[in-house]
Amino acid sequence: MDLQLALIFLQQGIASGLVSGSVYALLALAIVVIFKTSDVPNFAQGEVFMAAGYVALYLFVFQKMPIWVVLPATLVVAFLAMALFRRFVLDQVAKSAKDLVYLVIATLGLSYVLKGLVRRTGFGDTPRSFPALVPTDSIMIGQASVTLLDLAIFGTAVTVMAAFFWMFNYTKTGRAMRAVGMNPKAAQLVGVDLRRCHMLIWGLSGVISAIAALLISPKILMTADMGSIVMLAFAAAIVGGFSSLPGAVVGGFVIGIVENMVGLFISSRAIVLAPFLAILIVLVLRPQGLFGGKLTIKKV
Amino acid sequence: MPARRALSGTALIGLVAAVIVAVALPVFTSGYVVYIANLLLVFVVLCLGLHIVIGETGQFSMAHAAFYGIGIYASALANRAVDLPYPVAMLFGALVAGAVGLFIGALALRMRDIYLALATFAFGEAMQWVFANWDSVTNGPNGLRISPARFGPIEILSDKQAYPFVLFFCLVMIGLTVAISRSRLGRSFRAVRESEVAAMAMGIDVRRARIVSFGLSAAIAGFAGGMFGLFQTFIHPDSLGFQTTILVLTMVVVGGLGSIAGAIGGAIVFGLISEVLRQAPQYQEIIYGAILILFMMYAPRGLFAFIGDRIREARHGR
Amino acid sequence: MVAENMAAETAAPFLDVEGLTIRFGGLTAVGGLDMAVAKGSIHALIGPNGAGKSTTFNCISRFYTPSEGRITYDGRDITRMPAREMAGLGIARSFQNLELFGELTVFENVLIGAHVHAGRSWRDAISARPRGIVEHVDELLERTGLTSYAQTKARNLDFGHQKMVEIARALAIRPKLLLLDEPAAGLRNREIAALDRLLCELRERDGLTILLVEHVMQLVMSISDRITVLSFGTKIAEGTAAEVRANPAVIEAYLGREAAHEAAHA
Repeated sequence: MDLQLALIFLQQGIASGLVSGSVYALLALAIVVIFKTSDVPNFAQGEVFMAAGYVALYLFVFQKMPIWVVLPATLVVAFLAMALFRRFVLDQVAKSAKDLVYLVIATLGLSYVLKGLVRRTGFGDTPRSFPALVPTDSIMIGQASVTLLDLAIFGTAVTVMAAFFWMFNYTKTGRAMRAVGMNPKAAQLVGVDLRRCHMLIWGLSGVISAIAALLISPKILMTADMGSIVMLAFAAAIVGGFSSLPGAVVGGFVIGIVENMVGLFISSRAIVLAPFLAILIVLVLRPQGLFGGKLTIKKV
Repeated sequence: MPARRALSGTALIGLVAAVIVAVALPVFTSGYVVYIANLLLVFVVLCLGLHIVIGETGQFSMAHAAFYGIGIYASALANRAVDLPYPVAMLFGALVAGAVGLFIGALALRMRDIYLALATFAFGEAMQWVFANWDSVTNGPNGLRISPARFGPIEILSDKQAYPFVLFFCLVMIGLTVAISRSRLGRSFRAVRESEVAAMAMGIDVRRARIVSFGLSAAIAGFAGGMFGLFQTFIHPDSLGFQTTILVLTMVVVGGLGSIAGAIGGAIVFGLISEVLRQAPQYQEIIYGAILILFMMYAPRGLFAFIGDRIREARHGR
Repeated sequence: MVAENMAAETAAPFLDVEGLTIRFGGLTAVGGLDMAVAKGSIHALIGPNGAGKSTTFNCISRFYTPSEGRITYDGRDITRMPAREMAGLGIARSFQNLELFGELTVFENVLIGAHVHAGRSWRDAISARPRGIVEHVDELLERTGLTSYAQTKARNLDFGHQKMVEIARALAIRPKLLLLDEPAAGLRNREIAALDRLLCELRERDGLTILLVEHVMQLVMSISDRITVLSFGTKIAEGTAAEVRANPAVIEAYLGREAAHEAAHA
C-alpha cells in the first residue's frame, strides 16, 4: 500500500469512525449510566437498542404513521420498557437475592426475551433498513467521503450527549442521580426517592439506546441480531474506565475509529475481533481504563 | 458432631433408582434416547464447570461455550494427530482449555470483578470467530469431522457403545467436583464468594483463588468437549456461540446457584425441557429468557430449593 | 535463662507503630502516631468518632497502606506487606461491620479461619475435615459458646452470636496478635460480660496479645492493660485505665472544654 492510499484510508477511517463511534458512544453512555448507579452491567442494552429500532420500523413502515409520531412514540416505548423492567423485575430480584450476579442474569434473560419477541413478530425475518430521513448524498471532507446522513448522525449524537451531560451535571434530577451513584444510602437520607431515581435512569438509558437505534438503522441491515454491536459499546465503556461518562464517549469514538481502521487496513473479516482486541489491550496496558481514576479502597 | 449428614432414606432410594435407570438405559431404549442421554451427561459436566466459577467462587464466566469448543477441537485434533487411547486426547483438550482459561482469568482480574463478565463475553465471541475462520486448523465454517474414539482395540462407532464411557467420565467429573468443593481449595473459593476482605484476612490469596477457579472451570468445560467427541462425529462453529453459554447458565440457574446437586439436576431437567422446546424453535429464546427472569425474581435458589420450600410451607400449614 | 528471655520480650514492644501518618487526598486522617503494644497485654485504642482509630487499625492489619511511618511486629517490619500474609505471621483481625461468610455454616466459617494451617499436607488440603484442625475448631466453638450453632448458617444467627463467630474465626488462625475492631459494639450487657471473660482468658491462658478499637468504655476500662487515646488523628494520652480516666485532655476530647474545666475543679 503506498503512502498516498494509506493517507486516504486514514482520513476515511477517522471520518467513518467518528460517525459509527458516535453511535457506540451513545450506547456506551447508556450502559455506563446504569452501571454507575446500579452496579449492574446491563447485558440487554443491545437488545433494547434492537427492539427500539423495530418499534420504529413497525410504526413507520407497517403502520404508515407520520415520522413526527414515530420518533417520540419509539422513545416513550423504550423509556417505559426499561423503567418498568427496573421497577417490576429488578426490584423484585434485588428483594429475593442479595448478590449482583442475580441482577445480571435477569438482564441476560431480558435480552433473550426481546430477541425472541422480535423474531416471533416476523419483521426480523428479512433484513431491512429503516428509510433514511436525511439524503444520503456524499460530500468530501478532506479526502474522506461522508454522506449528509453521516453528518446528521454525528450531529444528533453529539447534541444528545451534550444534553445528557447538562442534565446529569446541572439539574436537580442529575444531581440526585449522581448522589445515588456515589452513595445510595446517603442519597436516600437527603430525600432522594431511590426507586423513582432508578426508574428514571433506566428509562433514560432506554431512550438513549433508542436514539442510537434510530440513528444507525438507516445505515445498516436490521436483523434480530443487530444488538450484537453492543459488544463494541461495552468495549468503549471499558476503554473509558466503565464508570466515567466522558470516558464512555471518548471510548466510543476510539472504538469506532479502531474498528474502521481494522476494516480498511487489515480485513473486514477481522472487524469482529476489534472489540476483543481493544479490551485486551486496555486490560494489559491500563487496567483502570483511560479515564478511570485509581481503584478505590473498600472501607472495612 | 454431625458435620457429615447421613443420607436420608428417600434420597438413598432416589439415588439407587437413578443409578439403575442410568445404567440400564441403553438396554431398553432406542438409539435416539441414548443420544439425548449422552448429550445430557455432557451438559452435566459443562454445568459442573460453570458451577465451580459461578456457584463456588461467585464470579461470572460468559465464555463457557468457548472453552467447551476449545476442548472439542483440541481433543479431536489430538486424537487425529497421534494414535493414543482417547482419554489422553480428552485430557489434552481439558489442559488446553484450562490453560487458556487461566490466561483469560489472569488478564481480566487485573480489573474489577465485573470486567471478568465483559472480557469473557468478548472472548467467547472472538473464539467463535476463530473456530469459524481458522480454516487450516478447524476447517472453518464447514465444520470438522471428528474421527471415532478408540480405547485400545475398541473403536466407538455408535451412541449405545459410547454411552457407558460417557456415563463413567461424567461420574468421575462429579466426584472430582465434589472433592474440590470439600477441599481447602473449595473452602477458599466460597470464602472469596462470601467476603473478599475476610478471605484476605484469613490468609487467602483472593486473586489466586479466582484465577484458579476460573482455570479449573475452563478445564472441566474442555473435558466436556472431549466427552462430546466420544459420540459425535462432527462439530460446527455455529453450535459454540453465546447461545450455548446461555443454555448452560440457564441450567445452573434452574438447578440452583451454589449447589453441585443443583447443577446436575438443572442440567438434566432443563436439558429435557430444551429438548422439548426444539419442537417450537420460535418460542425457544423467549422461554429461555423468561425462565431466567422468573427464576431470578421468585426462585433465585433454584427449582429444587423452591419446591422444597413450598412443600415445607404446605406441611406447616402456612 | 527464662527470666532473661522474658526481660528481653518486655523490653522490645511486640507491636511497634512509629510515626504512622495516613493521608487520604489532602486530608490527614492520622498524623505521626507512635504506639507500642507489649507482648501478652490487652491494649485499647480509643477516641471520639473520626479520631482515626479504625484507619490506624486497618493500617496495622495491612488493609490500608500508610503514607509515612513504620509498623514492626515481633521484630519484623510489616509496613509494606500484603494483607493476606498477616494470617501466616499470626496476626488475626475481626471486622467492625461483620464480614462473615454468611451463606456458610458457623463451623465452616471457623474452619476457613484455619486456612493457613489446613494445607500442611496433601491429605489435609483435600480433606473436608482436616485432622488436628477440626478438633481445634470444635474447641473454639466451645469456648465462644457456639457449639450448638455449628451447623447454622452464619447469616441466620443473631448479632451477638455473629460477633462471636468473627472472634472464633480470627482465633482459628492461632494468632499471636489479635486485632479486634469494636468487638462490643451493639452487644447487650450479658454478652459484653462474656466477651470480657473470653478476652481476659485469652490473655492469661493463651498468652495472646490483643489490640482493640472500642467505644464501650465499660469493657475498655475493665480489661485494658494500657490505653491509647486518639483525637483528630493524634495521640492525646496514653496510660493505664486510671491514668487515662483522670487525664484532662481526654475528658476534654470526649466531653468538651466545659466538662474538662468542671472536672479539674471538682
